[in-house]
Amino acid sequence: MAYSEKVLDHYNNPRNVGSLDKKSANVGTGMVGAPECGDVMKLQIQVNEENGIIEDAKFKTFGCGSAIASSSLATEWLKGKTVDEALAIRNTDIVNELSLPPVKIHCSVLAEDAIKAAISDYRAKQTTKTAAEQTVA
Amino acid sequence: MTADYFAFFGLQPALALDLKDLEKRFLDLSRRYHPDLNARKPAAEREAALEASAILNDAYRTLREPIARAMYLLKREGFDIGEQTTKDVPPELLEEVFELNMALEELKDGDTDALPQIAAARERFLASRNEVDGEIGAKFAEWDAQHSRDTLSAIRGLLNRRKYISNLIEKTNVPD
Repeated sequence: MAYSEKVLDHYNNPRNVGSLDKKSANVGTGMVGAPECGDVMKLQIQVNEENGIIEDAKFKTFGCGSAIASSSLATEWLKGKTVDEALAIRNTDIVNELSLPPVKIHCSVLAEDAIKAAISDYRAKQTTKTAAEQTVA
Repeated sequence: MTADYFAFFGLQPALALDLKDLEKRFLDLSRRYHPDLNARKPAAEREAALEASAILNDAYRTLREPIARAMYLLKREGFDIGEQTTKDVPPELLEEVFELNMALEELKDGDTDALPQIAAARERFLASRNEVDGEIGAKFAEWDAQHSRDTLSAIRGLLNRRKYISNLIEKTNVPD
């Protein structure tokens, strides 16, 4: 099975590979895995706490070309979006953009799960932070 | 030809088997179906004995191993034991799996500093598998006592988890 040109492009020149400080309060980390292929994907977002806009996004994925491309594309899309807008990203958007074949749809699902996990980690941290601030006050 | 392996040994379907008893039954049946003991029988009987001894070997190999036995019983009870489709990745292992992949990548780039980390990960995965084996053993006893489908579902999940961990152990098997 041949990869689409867009998958190859992301696979050969992955965007935003790397990591952000996972301890930072404005960084959300999502770690997801797929048992079928043993893929594991880490996706992180850095959010501007003033306006809720995702300023930076990084990923590191161990898996097939489609999994790498899906997460690479996801980080591109995340930057500049608000957290709420980011939650609206659907795996089908990734499938369409990358022309993923049916057997690779789970890679896009993984990317969507990673986005959701990163956002929920960020929100959990914000809640804890707010609670802590209130306790201090 | 399909034969019920448990019935073949004269046993009720069970997950926790007495291996000594199973071996004894295996030896008795091996003798009964042995070609030498059936040499003077009519052709049809000889053939039947030959077929039975082939089934016997498959049945013994399957029932002797706890994992193979559980897979067999799940299939027999109508469970789909093909490819993993559900998300049975142990969440607490994900971080570890990620770190392991990082270390393996470093090693591939020629950085042998990653070796101790990989060895440590291997130890932890082996411990995790032991833990899962313990849980599987407990579920075996539970099913034997109650024959509940929920127990079988739980066993199926545990077997998936075990498979995943075994794959990781395989991955950490790097030459020193």
